Amino acid sequence: MAKASLLSTLLFFLYPILSYSQTLPINVWPKPTNISWPVPTAAPLSPSFKIISPCADHSYLQSAVERFTSLLFSERYYPIVTPAVNLTTSRPLLSLTISVADLSVPLQHGADESYALSITSSTGLANLSAATAWGAMRGLETFSQLTWGADPPLVATDVYVADRPLFPHRGLMLDTARNYYPVADILRTIEAMGANKLNVFHWHLTDAQSFPIVLPTEPGLAEKGSYGTGMQYTPDDVKTVVEFGMSRGVRVMPEIDAPAHTGSWAGAHPDIVTCANMFWVPNGAADWPNRLAAEPGTGQLNPLKSETYDVFRNVAADVASLFPEQLYHAGADEVTPGCWKADSSIQAFLAAGGTLSQLLELFVSSTHSFVLSLNRTVVYWEDVLLDPVVRVNPALISPKNTILQTWNNGPNNTKLIVSAGYRAIVSSSDFYYLDCGHGDFVGNNSIYDSVGSDSDSDGGSWCGPFKTWQRIYDYDITYGLSEDEAKLVLGGEVALWSEQADSTVLDGRIWPRASAMAEALWSGNRDPAGRKRYAEATDRLNDWRHRMVGRGIRAEPIQPLWCRTRPGMCNTT
Amino acid sequence: MTTSSLILLLVIIAIITPSLIHSTPHPPINVWPKPTSISWLPNPNPNPNSSYLSLSLSPSFRIFPLFPIHLHPPLRRALYRYHRLLLRERHVPLLPPPTPPISPAPLSLLLLSVSSLSAPLHPGANESYLLSLPIPTHGAANLSANLSAATPWGAIRGLETLSQLATAVPGSGAGDGAVVVPAGVEIRDAPLHPHRGVVLDAARSYYPVCDVMRTVRAMAHNKLNVLHWHLSDAQAFPLSLPSEPNLARRGAYPTPFPATYSPRDVRRVLRFALSFAVRVVPEIDAPGHTGSWAGAYPDIVTCANKFWLPPGGPPLAAEPGTGQLNPLNPETYRVVRNVFRDVAALFPDPYIHAGADEVNAACWDDDPAVRRFIAAGGTHDQLLEIFVNATRPFIADTLNRTVVYWEDVLLGPNIKVGAAALPPETTVLQTWNNGPTNTKRLTAAGRYDWQDSDEPGHPFNYAGGNGGSWCAPFKTWQRIYDYDILHGLTDEEAGRVLGGEVALWSEQADGTVLDGRLWPRAAAMAEALWSGNRDETGKKRYAEATDRLNEWRHRMVQRGIRAEPIQPLWCVLHPGMCNLVQ
Repeated sequence: MAKASLLSTLLFFLYPILSYSQTLPINVWPKPTNISWPVPTAAPLSPSFKIISPCADHSYLQSAVERFTSLLFSERYYPIVTPAVNLTTSRPLLSLTISVADLSVPLQHGADESYALSITSSTGLANLSAATAWGAMRGLETFSQLTWGADPPLVATDVYVADRPLFPHRGLMLDTARNYYPVADILRTIEAMGANKLNVFHWHLTDAQSFPIVLPTEPGLAEKGSYGTGMQYTPDDVKTVVEFGMSRGVRVMPEIDAPAHTGSWAGAHPDIVTCANMFWVPNGAADWPNRLAAEPGTGQLNPLKSETYDVFRNVAADVASLFPEQLYHAGADEVTPGCWKADSSIQAFLAAGGTLSQLLELFVSSTHSFVLSLNRTVVYWEDVLLDPVVRVNPALISPKNTILQTWNNGPNNTKLIVSAGYRAIVSSSDFYYLDCGHGDFVGNNSIYDSVGSDSDSDGGSWCGPFKTWQRIYDYDITYGLSEDEAKLVLGGEVALWSEQADSTVLDGRIWPRASAMAEALWSGNRDPAGRKRYAEATDRLNDWRHRMVGRGIRAEPIQPLWCRTRPGMCNTT
Repeated sequence: MTTSSLILLLVIIAIITPSLIHSTPHPPINVWPKPTSISWLPNPNPNPNSSYLSLSLSPSFRIFPLFPIHLHPPLRRALYRYHRLLLRERHVPLLPPPTPPISPAPLSLLLLSVSSLSAPLHPGANESYLLSLPIPTHGAANLSANLSAATPWGAIRGLETLSQLATAVPGSGAGDGAVVVPAGVEIRDAPLHPHRGVVLDAARSYYPVCDVMRTVRAMAHNKLNVLHWHLSDAQAFPLSLPSEPNLARRGAYPTPFPATYSPRDVRRVLRFALSFAVRVVPEIDAPGHTGSWAGAYPDIVTCANKFWLPPGGPPLAAEPGTGQLNPLNPETYRVVRNVFRDVAALFPDPYIHAGADEVNAACWDDDPAVRRFIAAGGTHDQLLEIFVNATRPFIADTLNRTVVYWEDVLLGPNIKVGAAALPPETTVLQTWNNGPTNTKRLTAAGRYDWQDSDEPGHPFNYAGGNGGSWCAPFKTWQRIYDYDILHGLTDEEAGRVLGGEVALWSEQADGTVLDGRLWPRAAAMAEALWSGNRDETGKKRYAEATDRLNEWRHRMVQRGIRAEPIQPLWCVLHPGMCNLVQ
């Protein structure tokens, strides 16, 4: 790793850095940290072009090499605006040679993703050097994006890239519990993530509505809690997803949400779930103290039942054996007082002077230590620490082995988390929730009754309005933090909660908005002068969206095609 | 017992039996949009366990027209399509209701009668139909159903209804896999509003013909009857016209595919739409929104190819993409007439939409001739009037079409013409601003109107929330469903409202996301305009509509329309549990 860093440092000094304000004829998304292409030229890819990898025994890198070799010739990408480059008169590009400093580095948090790429016209050779196999995959992606056309494809030449991400955790959360997604959708999403240099697929596997993952030790959970046999993820499916992610440098972080959001556990284990299968707002009033759940689908694990822990341990152990990922997301969001209070044993506990927070502490202290015993780091939603009513004493969740994911109050909660010494993953619902602003899904709601009503002026969803790509792009996830605090921010995740999304609309909900975050977390959202670069990013994102569509990702358009062919004409200044 | 008392007794049975039958709830009829009237025929041989029966569809089921079908090719194509759909769809609802016992005699025939076979698919065409599915009688080996309609177009609506009544029986056991329809039901149906449409903007983004056709098909499944095809705008002119080929050649998107609609493409769409009883109203927007004409005719377009927000000056266009036809250039009218003559030759519909929205003074002022005209005391209103007076009579009188304009032409707010230039007999205005207020202004002025209101109603210029779009927030299906397009009108005024259209402007939509943007939200308007958004007691029926719309969305997805989900599947499987009030 030290060797690769040295190499990168050398590259930074050796190559002149091109001004960021200049738009290149062909672009890479996310924009590399450093790219130098002083004289835009291109060469055809030789028909015998080869990617030479020293690492045939690294099956994931080998699979990436084969995939990219095929993509280079099959993609047939024609940019909307034909790149203004001179074709080199010398020779076609013969090969891309990969060197990796340390092939043994596993795909885990903090794995070095830096790489350096040079494509030289005079020799007809390209070189990619990376600290790790995962960095090499990032470099291969960059190389593929510097290639366009067909018969033969052209590749940018005399271009030098030295690249590494700003943040180690760049993720996408997909909720496969509110609605089910076939495995093919998940694979396509991970493929697109790799292309955007995102590296963590946060798989929100279970919730109140369904429990789609089949666990060998607790098969009843999926049998009774999934939407049906056709809507489950078997251990083989999980293996497919994990392996698919590995050959794209995308980690797969499972989330089993508990103790709330567990109504779906009640089919197999009715005794450990309080308030299961009840109407979610029993008094007809949706105010918080009356609710049994944050949304329809009630049920919370009962911390006072020992069987709860038996089931939890079975689940966590199975999940840990299915997912090699070092981070285990254990949920712990939105514990709803009314649901626990509906249970008689809990009523007795509270009557004897116990508190709701003590109940959560019982649950967390037992389950947190169990997950640690599986050699995992625990990730929770911020609620476990910051919920105004039900939260735990920080002493129970040591910052050493606990990471908190923030979703409320924008930068304020990020600050609360890191100032308490925890590492943070940022998923602010004000910026990064992809489902927001799409109306409310609950039924029989009379707010729509009157013609003059503006009750849904925010788009009728709790986190409206819709998060545009610009809003996502411009969010600074370390805003207002000291330098030391900022170091505790691991990165961010856009999140698609699936109350109103499924397979039919998946791609358009995620892309290209997730690409906006991908660039902001990879190389930032500012130019070297410190100015936000959204204006120049618009054209590049148009191109990247166009390219993604060509690769089979149904990303939504951000502008009429007219705008891309008339640079600047669709701007406001 | 005398003969007369026997007769009396029979009569009494006939009166009592229906109430006995109806003491158990009848099987749900999940047809979207909900039919106006559904009645159940008394079962003469009630089974002690169930008052209702199902009919299985015979594998040799046929649709038999009681008239020479070869005289009506579009209806013949519709019969073919619906026959195939009936036998092959094999739809299983997400929450299959219990299937009433299946009658031993299958349904083998649908007798179709149409009283006026020659009725054209015109505005106000009669779409009513009567569909009755028989009660099996003892000994009958084969049963036939009846569909009668005033016109072929009503017959097509009835066929759609029949297709939605058909479901496959899931699970194992007797009748497993059979396609069944309810027995003994009679549906009398007709729309509340004659004009129920979708605006598809094919100029900001191009939609391949297959996307347009899929949209037409989805419209027919929802009994929508007008595709308002917005075919030209500042950004592109995708329609290839024989007399003016350069407009598309120089104005359509160039790459990477031929992003045009050839006359052949148009005829394909029209033929397809006709067999689904969907009218296609073309819109050529002018004099605003015409920047794309400048490629072929730079001289007739003012302010073309300029930056839309000049520093220090007023905007040159409502959005990026400048250019307006110059009313003072005689060449303008030569081109416009060629365009509309070709459009009228291609599109048989009695309506032609001629746009006239968002005319911009600064864009005209960019032209020296216009500046001279203004300096000599002329007004922008006069300029628009010159344009309208030189083009509208040509479309109305020479081409014999009703001219549709956006409301702007009369209501401004900036540039407008006097009412005298827009004779109500041949003018329809489409409203899109100020919700019910502008509808009232238009209908009070005696103009026929259809709705396309962005506030609080329909279009989906998508960006949702206050997510930075001019017409935010996102229009949820509930908001669309609940909009009463006659709100605040007198009966006389209401009589002038032809109906409504949902609109998809395509700045941020194209083929990748088309279905999810339109459906099922357009379905919400489809029901509101077909049978209303209220139950018999006048209460809005959005609550019960939620469950039905979930099922209908599921069925649309099965039919290849990528409609977006409105709730988690859990809600569908747990009826009522996702309501705000139980």
